[in-house]
Amino acid sequence: MTTNSLAFRLFATAVAWTLLALPIAGAIIYSLYAQEVGTSFDRRINLLLTVVLNDTIDHGDQVPGEPKDVGEPLFEVTHSGWYWQIRPLDGRPGPTLGSRSLAGLSIPLPSEHNVEPNEREVRWANLDGPLEQRLRVAESIYVFGEGKMAQRYSVAVGGTLGEVETSLRNFRTRLTLALSLAGVGLLALTLFQVRFGLFPLAKVEKGLAAVRSGEATKLDIGLPQEIEPLQQELNALLKSNQDIVERARTHVGNLAHALKTPLAVIVNEARDDQSPLARKVAEQAQIMGEQVNLYLDRARMAARIGVIGRVTEVRPVSDSIIRALERIYRDKHLTFSTDCPPGARFQGERQDLEEMLGNLLDNASKWARSRVVLAATALAQGGNGSGRWLEIRVDDDGPGLTAEQMADPIIRGRRLDETKPGSGLGHSIVADLAHSYSGKLELARSEHGGLSARLTLPLAT
Amino acid sequence: MRVLVVEDDRDLNRQLVSALTDAGYAVDSAFDGEEGYFLGETEPYDVVILDTGLPKMDGISVLEQWRRAERKMPVIILTARDRWSDKVTGMDAGADDYVAKPFHMEELLARIRAQVRRASGHAKSDLECGPLRLDTKTARVTLNGQPVKLTSHEYRLLAYLMHHNERVVSRTELVEHLYEQDFDRDSNTIEVFIGRLRKKIPPDMIKTIRGLGYRLSREVDDN
Repeated sequence: MTTNSLAFRLFATAVAWTLLALPIAGAIIYSLYAQEVGTSFDRRINLLLTVVLNDTIDHGDQVPGEPKDVGEPLFEVTHSGWYWQIRPLDGRPGPTLGSRSLAGLSIPLPSEHNVEPNEREVRWANLDGPLEQRLRVAESIYVFGEGKMAQRYSVAVGGTLGEVETSLRNFRTRLTLALSLAGVGLLALTLFQVRFGLFPLAKVEKGLAAVRSGEATKLDIGLPQEIEPLQQELNALLKSNQDIVERARTHVGNLAHALKTPLAVIVNEARDDQSPLARKVAEQAQIMGEQVNLYLDRARMAARIGVIGRVTEVRPVSDSIIRALERIYRDKHLTFSTDCPPGARFQGERQDLEEMLGNLLDNASKWARSRVVLAATALAQGGNGSGRWLEIRVDDDGPGLTAEQMADPIIRGRRLDETKPGSGLGHSIVADLAHSYSGKLELARSEHGGLSARLTLPLAT
Repeated sequence: MRVLVVEDDRDLNRQLVSALTDAGYAVDSAFDGEEGYFLGETEPYDVVILDTGLPKMDGISVLEQWRRAERKMPVIILTARDRWSDKVTGMDAGADDYVAKPFHMEELLARIRAQVRRASGHAKSDLECGPLRLDTKTARVTLNGQPVKLTSHEYRLLAYLMHHNERVVSRTELVEHLYEQDFDRDSNTIEVFIGRLRKKIPPDMIKTIRGLGYRLSREVDDN
């Protein structure tokens, strides 16, 4: 997953959101829980305070009595952290009572720390108790006796905050663990969601690659409703591209027909007349004919540029051309042999391969004494770049060419031999076409004695 | 030899007819596919020059229909569409050769001669029959190495007989292959030219096979 990708963008956004949301959620949950634990703790202390106060009032209304039935076993355990205490205030004498858990010690009082009572006349404070225990203390002030005998007493209950803190600490640990697991789970789910969500785009990519390599002529993959229009538009684009090329080809063909017939008339008419004017007309018409061929070839090549994804099997093309040549050269009784493996496929237009093989095989047939050999092989390297290449060799057993001649035929307009009919542009057309596919045409001496034309073209995989 | 030219361009058609007539062929011409198809279907041509881009019926369809109807005369496609895909289509439809426009008339004539020769089973452009020799390239006839002067009609007749030597050729066949469609078939022109030829070559070489026709033979017998 690269940083400049849809998957990364979606995933990074999800990660950022998760990293932000989970701690905030954790803080809120912890806060609510702490609030609930604190309230519950206070309710318990308040209940115990009420029990202690009622119990002590039940045992005497002049002076506080010893509470007998508080119902909290921890009041009986020494330094348990849970204490009650009844003490006279204002420095006046009176009985001081306390739970057994105090074991002679005392707990600090909120009233002594100037804590104001709440609406139920109970003072609440967190104070340091015996043995440095941090206590939550609730204190209520009750007046025993009447008249001059009236005496204010502090009735207080304290509970250790250590219990609350331990509970909160445990909760925090479990909450952190749970949220972390949830975070990891969410990220994994996000990753799956991104992959699953973007899978159709990967299918589009594969489909387009298949079109480009020529394995398919259009996109035909099941896509979700949202991007189905994309497939339709791409197919329309491919179709439009093919239509434009076909139209261009048709126009080029029509132009060829429209120009060449009048040229044939002019050339023939001029040849029948021996005047200087007629000779000049014949000469210029000949040049016009060659120029028409040159620019028609260029127009054909230009029409092909931008055509996506065509693959042409070599064997059917070579077979059809050889079938035609066997008829054209049947007087020569030539033997044509083809060695072309089934996987030999040219990455390009059928018409272009026909043009290249047609010219090479035609030239070989003109010159061959008895045999023409076509062999196609896949190469690891070749042409003008990387990738896989296809070499097609067309050999004959004719007289061949000298080293000097071999360099020449590829020059446009040069005839291989004036005595053989034809446009004489065969090899240059082949070289131009091969070059337009980043391929090349090379001429060498054939092991059969004649010319060996070696055509290197992109191999379709 | 009788040739059919199917070409819709009137100027080119006229040029072809003129050049072929000058070269000693009897030429019929058609300007559209339907007319061309009809002539090829009904007349015995030795060669057909067929354009592909024709009005009413395209040349390839014309050719395919002829072949389906077992018409086996050699057909040379003459077209501006010179891509190999077009050539393969033409050859697959049953053409025997392919000439791209613009073309040299001499090249076309050479191709026509080759087709005529091939159709009659001759490999070389020089035809021989006993002391007689005919060079199809130069249209020259020699007898024991000495030139024989012939008029164009005499040449046409002798050339046809030499292409089919040792075979009985009927008078009708000669008329059909040596004269255009509008020739008066009841005239005795053939007999007149046979008579003239017999005066210029050994008379026994052209035998009259009663009720059947004529045979050019290198062997002289008593029949």
